[in-house]
Amino acid sequence: MKIVMKFGGTSVTGRENVQRVASLITSNVKLGHKVVAVISALDGVTEKLLEAAELAEKRNRDFIKPFKQEILERHLNLASESLEITSVRKEVHEMITETVDELEKVLTGIIYVGELTPRSKDYILSFGERLSAPIIYGAVKCLGFEAKYLTGADAGIVTDSNFGEASPLMNVTEHQIKARLLPLLEKNVIPIVTGFIAATQEGVITTLGRGGSDYTATIIGASIEADEVWIWTDVDGLMTADPKIVPKAKTIPEISFEEALEMAVFGAKAMHPRALEPIMDKQTTVKIKNIFNPTAPGTMLVREMRIKPGTTVKAVTLLRDAGVITLSGASMIGTPGTAAKVFDVLGKNGINVLMISQGASEANISIAIRRRVLDRAVNALEMALLGRGLIREITAEDDVCIISAVGAGMKNTPGIASRIFTAVARKGINVRMIAQGSSELNISFVVKEADAKAAVQAIHDEFRLDEV
Amino acid sequence: MRIILIGYGVVGQNLTRIFINRRAELFNNYGFRPRVIAVVDRGGAAVNPKGLDLERLLLSKREKGTVAADSKFGKPGASAIEMIESLEAEAVVEASPTNIKDGEPALSYIKAAFRTGKHVVTSNKGPLALAMPVLTELAEHNRVYFRFSGSVGAGTPFLEFAKRCLFGDRIIFIRGILNGTTNFILTEMVERGVSFEQALKKAQDLGYAEADPSMDIDGFDAACKLVILANWVMGKKVTLKDVSIQGIRNITRNDIESAEKEGFTVKLIGSIGDKLEVKPTKISKEEPLAVGGTFNAVTFVSEFAGEQTLIGRGAGGVETASAILRDLLDIKQKLAARVWPE
Repeated sequence: MKIVMKFGGTSVTGRENVQRVASLITSNVKLGHKVVAVISALDGVTEKLLEAAELAEKRNRDFIKPFKQEILERHLNLASESLEITSVRKEVHEMITETVDELEKVLTGIIYVGELTPRSKDYILSFGERLSAPIIYGAVKCLGFEAKYLTGADAGIVTDSNFGEASPLMNVTEHQIKARLLPLLEKNVIPIVTGFIAATQEGVITTLGRGGSDYTATIIGASIEADEVWIWTDVDGLMTADPKIVPKAKTIPEISFEEALEMAVFGAKAMHPRALEPIMDKQTTVKIKNIFNPTAPGTMLVREMRIKPGTTVKAVTLLRDAGVITLSGASMIGTPGTAAKVFDVLGKNGINVLMISQGASEANISIAIRRRVLDRAVNALEMALLGRGLIREITAEDDVCIISAVGAGMKNTPGIASRIFTAVARKGINVRMIAQGSSELNISFVVKEADAKAAVQAIHDEFRLDEV
Repeated sequence: MRIILIGYGVVGQNLTRIFINRRAELFNNYGFRPRVIAVVDRGGAAVNPKGLDLERLLLSKREKGTVAADSKFGKPGASAIEMIESLEAEAVVEASPTNIKDGEPALSYIKAAFRTGKHVVTSNKGPLALAMPVLTELAEHNRVYFRFSGSVGAGTPFLEFAKRCLFGDRIIFIRGILNGTTNFILTEMVERGVSFEQALKKAQDLGYAEADPSMDIDGFDAACKLVILANWVMGKKVTLKDVSIQGIRNITRNDIESAEKEGFTVKLIGSIGDKLEVKPTKISKEEPLAVGGTFNAVTFVSEFAGEQTLIGRGAGGVETASAILRDLLDIKQKLAARVWPE
């Protein structure tokens, strides 16, 4: 079986974890699997790099020495602790020292120029993965296996030059990854690839933005036609609800791509939808597994799944920090194009709409958006739409959140909405806005932030999600 | 519309009073809902991204001398630049004191607003007189609106009259009385037979003239307005240094009386033709421009419509605030027109 394993930031931080990662990779190789490992930056390093980039842009010279020292020591120490074979340790130390020297030069350059372009920012952010992956490479070698360290670009990922959120040129990428990684796997060499980073066709470093290292894993998985992509993280998989809200929440054993996408959009810590794109039309399955509990089955994401009779709602998600805008006016009734104008204004102001609902009377439209853009949205709508007679009033609520019940089994099953809203009503919670997509994969509704926990708990109880 | 108000003197305070008193009317008739999210004065700033309570703002200014004294929203020592650059807002209203030496700090405020994508309304003549071509170019480059009706004639719409009502016509000559204080002084000298010094003293007593009256009586204020008219109405790229300026400091009773005998009167006239000029000029008493008191009057000579004169009060806090409101509504409607083409 061909497996791509991705290890997140917390899984590679600390000696024990490094060795755990190495043994997870090699034990699967021993079982006869072909494994490609994708490695994230150490916990907190990407944030530190971003901070450093911003300080450099402000032409602050003093931070460089201590910053360089801190980054260097953190990675060297981890390598020293984790790598027991002297020659390997020496090799990895050299890789780290060289890379940190390069980082120092780049930051110094930015201080001189006083400008941080998206391009140079990507360059700086790439150092996190370029420093962590060599350590895993060393740890795998110490266990007596052949390994090769590669950056995303070395592995063959080619992207457009949309710095900060680059997209792969998938055909080129697939062709190159096949050519570079398959021969290694044939020779039983384990490729250790940096997550998150890639390069343009000219070789300029880019980052994959949202989706990050998961995206790297699925790009590689799709390219080598892997049987499975394993996302190693620090939880047991996707949960039926946030365990901080519902202590009895359970891990979901199996879920479809579509359901996982819905959950990700509505606040679950699932994979970013972007990361599922490359494997959408492949036979690859994704497993989300807990590095601290590797024998647990985790959650399996599959392209198509059989719906077990009786399963309807599979998970309840909560998206906090939302806001609702309601536009009303009797003249909106039967006037074509009103909604188009509303969304045109929002789009031109860069505001993403999370939920829409309009009653059949057409006398009002409600829109849910993220709270941090609420003021901008309200003012833009007021300036553009009021005073023309059509829309009489625009009101905003800033203390709401969006709750979604997700599950493919809801489709064609009557009575789900009734059960959801009855359960919520029984707790005395007022529902402010409701939307159901015609895919019937989810029913979303808006309640006051203060009612959020009780509403999530009520739905979780109603559908007995803790007993699945 | 979220507004950052820079300067909280007479004009700024009057603007907030209009917002308070006309709240319902502005909303019902124009769909205009102003939210003043920050006000900056000498003491610092008051900030609330949701919109400040304007009554409270006026109270804090009146009782404590600065908006920054507000216990909840006050930010003593906060700078205008900081506010403009850090806050998300649609418009900046710049109403800080005029400086005709270098236009600062207003010039920097306006540039910062443009840079951060905010529309600007100002009544401040300094930056306009010194750098109008710069500012109009920057506004265009950053795709924001720049409005300044209040800078010429306060509430009297000289600029809009010429730009809109004579749309399509070609204005070939402009002349007018652009400063109310000097007009008051000259009128006093004619009607009461007093000397320049006596008339100036009276103007100062009535609050028309500043303690240092140079800006008015040496013709700089009128020259600034002339520059703005020349740029905006006639498309000339000129600044204050292109105007030849002579004030009324040396006008004597003798000058007045000899003009009177011939049926003329002396006025401080600014004119835009081949060149820009501000100087005391004898004009016929029959001319529409021959207005008295603190009035301003401007005659536009256009190719087809001929001569038209607009007369109005040229100064005052309420009048200037009304011009700012007009500009804000204009911006609001321009933005709405992008979504609702006629």
